[in-house]
Amino acid sequence: MVNKSVLVLGGGIAGVASSLRLAVNGFKVYLVEREPTIGGAALFFCCKATEACNQCSVCLVPEKIAEVKAQPQISLLTNSQVAEISGQVGDFSVRLIQRPRFVDPEKCTACGVCAELCPSQPNKAIYLPSPQALPYAYAIDKNNCLHFNGVECNICSQECPFGAIDFDRSPEKIELSVDAIIIATGFDVFNAKEKGCLGYGRYTNVLTGLDLERKFSTQGSITLPSSGKAPQNVAFIQCVGSRDVHIGNGYCSQICCKYAMRFAKLLQYQHPETKITIFYMDLQTAGKGFGEFYQQCKETIRFVRGIPVEISEISPDELEVKYEDFIEGKVAKEIFDLVILSVGITPRKDSSNIARILGINLGEWGFFDTQDHLDSTETNVEGIFVAGTCHGPKDIPESIAHGAQAASKVIQTLAARGI
Amino acid sequence: MDEVKIGVFICNCGDTISKSVDLLDIRARLEKLADVALVSIGHDLCSPQAQQAIRKDIIDNGINRVVIAACSPQLYGDALANLVEKAGLNRHLLSVANIREQCSWVHPDKDKATKKAMVQIRMAVDKVRLQDVVEQAEVEVYKDVLVIGGGIVGMEVAIELSNLNLRTTLIEKEANLGGRLKQFAALYPLQVTPEEMLTSRLKQVTGSENIDALTSAGLKDLSGEVGNFTAKIRKGNEEISRNFGAIILATGYETLFLDKVYGFELGDNIITQSQLEGMLKSPGEIKKIPQSVGFVFDICDEHSRISTPSTLRNALVIKERFGSEVYVLCRNLQVDGAGLEKLYQDVRNKGVIFFKFERFPKVLRENGKINIQVEDLSMAREQVMLSCDLLVVEEKVVPHQDFATLESMLNIGLGPRDFYQEDNVHLYPTSSTKSGIFFAGNCHQDLDLGRALTDASNAASEAYQLISSGKMRVEVERVVVDPDKCALCLTCLRFCPHDAIRIDYEKKTAHILDLACQGCGICAAVCPAKAIKFKDWSDDQILAELEVV
Amino acid sequence: MTTGVEFLPCIVAFCCVHSAYQAADAAGRMRIPYPENIIMVHIPCAGRVDTLHILRAFENGADGVVILACHEGACHHILGNIRAKERVERANALLREIGVDGRRVEMRTCAPNDGSRFARVCHELEEKIKELGPSPLRKHA
Repeated sequence: MVNKSVLVLGGGIAGVASSLRLAVNGFKVYLVEREPTIGGAALFFCCKATEACNQCSVCLVPEKIAEVKAQPQISLLTNSQVAEISGQVGDFSVRLIQRPRFVDPEKCTACGVCAELCPSQPNKAIYLPSPQALPYAYAIDKNNCLHFNGVECNICSQECPFGAIDFDRSPEKIELSVDAIIIATGFDVFNAKEKGCLGYGRYTNVLTGLDLERKFSTQGSITLPSSGKAPQNVAFIQCVGSRDVHIGNGYCSQICCKYAMRFAKLLQYQHPETKITIFYMDLQTAGKGFGEFYQQCKETIRFVRGIPVEISEISPDELEVKYEDFIEGKVAKEIFDLVILSVGITPRKDSSNIARILGINLGEWGFFDTQDHLDSTETNVEGIFVAGTCHGPKDIPESIAHGAQAASKVIQTLAARGI
Repeated sequence: MDEVKIGVFICNCGDTISKSVDLLDIRARLEKLADVALVSIGHDLCSPQAQQAIRKDIIDNGINRVVIAACSPQLYGDALANLVEKAGLNRHLLSVANIREQCSWVHPDKDKATKKAMVQIRMAVDKVRLQDVVEQAEVEVYKDVLVIGGGIVGMEVAIELSNLNLRTTLIEKEANLGGRLKQFAALYPLQVTPEEMLTSRLKQVTGSENIDALTSAGLKDLSGEVGNFTAKIRKGNEEISRNFGAIILATGYETLFLDKVYGFELGDNIITQSQLEGMLKSPGEIKKIPQSVGFVFDICDEHSRISTPSTLRNALVIKERFGSEVYVLCRNLQVDGAGLEKLYQDVRNKGVIFFKFERFPKVLRENGKINIQVEDLSMAREQVMLSCDLLVVEEKVVPHQDFATLESMLNIGLGPRDFYQEDNVHLYPTSSTKSGIFFAGNCHQDLDLGRALTDASNAASEAYQLISSGKMRVEVERVVVDPDKCALCLTCLRFCPHDAIRIDYEKKTAHILDLACQGCGICAAVCPAKAIKFKDWSDDQILAELEVV
Repeated sequence: MTTGVEFLPCIVAFCCVHSAYQAADAAGRMRIPYPENIIMVHIPCAGRVDTLHILRAFENGADGVVILACHEGACHHILGNIRAKERVERANALLREIGVDGRRVEMRTCAPNDGSRFARVCHELEEKIKELGPSPLRKHA
């Protein structure tokens, strides 16, 4: 035991990796997550294997979460956000606000009786955040709950076999004292509605990569939102919200080419007759084993260089995609029944707020900045480190690696200062 | 052996499981099974009170094997094993039947669910009846690390380990540390120059008491297992023998020009990236400043993270230093690294012209000039003729020649394209198939500099995590070989994915290295003589479970 | 065979704890129903399964046997799933030799977080074995 403590801000895969690396080495870790479960964005992603594993790494998330559960050195503080931080390396004072969950995760066994009986429509107000959630316990959504909206409903708290539900809870202040801080607040997905000409939100059959993740992880397959039929002719449009200085995102999101190709393969695995076209600028095929995967993709997927500028809906099942055909040297139009926008990674909207609370710098595109512009983890404030996608786009293995790197730097910094 | 007394504890999970499973019926049937001494149904076994009661029941009734029928062992498996341990039993004498997630939650029909739950619990009873005890122990391990390769990644690994207070032996086959970093002309998009980076790292390496850097040295032989490796290192005519707890490989990569792929040979005005870097590094070698320079890549190494950054930064250096016309020809720019898209935009703004091709451009040599014919995709595939004084071509990134020797010496798997590490997500980022051996940098995957340094940090901290306490916990003889049955056929040795089996020629038997074993049971399945027993999943246990069919 | 009573196949599924066992948990957590007549035998890795185990299952009266392993390239022990596949093929050949349809034994894959795929695979297996009818080795047909 080393009797040192670290605050990890954000329970996504990077924060989890940081926490594990610290905890195993004897550090006390406070893992702060604002949602009711840790796991972050990737917890809601789906496995993209066909017969073979396509190395999407999503299955590492529940694996790491299980390790957190078995690790007594990590205190989970879900539903919590940082309000104030003061002090310096070796002696930070942190004030957190923990919003009530209304369900005691120590008592709840996730038996599900409450959700069965909850009368809220259409969505149950008491819910399990994810099948892989940690804490593995239900939570109440205040906005949806009748009890909090003027109705005398106490069904769940009366029927809970474990007496785990308590409506009379208010936000709590938590004061912590830590030696170092790791920020791993993750990313926001680019809002595809900002690209109005692509029709996301207006046309039923235009979806984003994130929509696809959600649908596959809950249903295991995808159908056309308009008709419920299997898609037959699908277009993926790359770089939506990435590599675009005009909207302030002058960087490559690094994940989209890979997930698009994996999804394309998965769609064809489930429906071999599906035709798939991927519109791209430059294909990012580097990475372990990915070049070989791309070669397989080329056999059944059409790759077209050029990013479409406009989509129009002819009928709900027919989307006309207008793009510049470099081969023919003219503007071409083509009909698809499903269009997937490969949306990228953007900085979190509250990044500037966190940067202000912690006194750290933001980089050019709004991600947290590090000292020497390497994939390093040290910020301008000694003792505060960044991990994962809040520092810039990364895929799952890279986020895990970066999280562990931040943890290692914490150990080294504290050792060097003799703290 | 004492009489087997199995206690079965069933959890009702707040009376929810009994809604779809008839637990009373199950209890009645279980009580009739052989060796079952106690069956009890609890309201919620995860509560501290219930656990207290189970402990008491185990002790009071002399229970020596425990079955718990409850939720998934993924949730409380560890806690239940601890509970069994607290009741004075070995933690392996427990079997969990998952009657919640895998039964009551998925089978709405009560009769069918009850039947399945009974099958599940019976299997657990049959399994635990034959369970052997497995003790745990702590083993002393060496706290020293061997780092092979003294390039920037190997140096970074050694520095981080030194910061973490672990002693490191860093071996480099060349006479100087630094590897490829010595050749680079610039490190864009980083602001730091290669010289600055190298000097600062060298200072840290030489200034650290924890690092013993041996140059012109190589690994000659390796024996032992995780925590306790013995390495023979050759330095000049000397041979040094040292013990290590962990080994990190940072052997980097080599590059190779493939004239067959390009269809032409190198010459005065057709050079490789590394030759160009050499020229930029020692300006005396440049006899005539080139007016126009062409770069071409994506021909022989399409999916490389190396060619795009090196092309971009060398193009920028040439543009800034000589003001030449610069053309870059490629299929795809790999800009999926920190700051690369920005660098690409900057290079473009400085006047470097990019052509993306679908078909390989034609290269013609004429009067000391190089003419490149390429179709311009932005202009309806119009053929464009570019004339250059100098053409720079990419090389293929290939594994080091000594990879194969090291691979067989260390007995670790090679992945795609013969680099280290298999293509398996569970090994990422830095683990090898063999416990105690890690990879860092480009010897196992395609990385740009930033990623390589993250990788270095990871490898260092994984090694630290493994051996820093000087002790490792181990399950003793979880897998055992019966020397009477072992015929020394070496099948297990060949099939073990983690190199955890050795042959004891004196005792004429194979034996399993407890520290290195990762518990897959492949050896037990392949052994033709059925000499290997995996105590948690023995053949007897599996066959007994199959009796429910 | 057609006695009017619906044929309920008995299927033995060897489930790798790294994938199928967790996928079954995931299916449970998502409340996705699947056939209950699949007997799940847990194993530490698909590579632990021996031809002997497969054959014993048939001897004991199973109508079908499946090894549910990690996807190719995702085995925690690198080649465990490939080894299992080889054994399935061997069992398959042995069964055919004694006149049992080799399709009764097979190897399927799923990821630990893919509950819906686990349930789908179970349904497909039940369908397939129903088509093949009871095993000729069944003691109590």
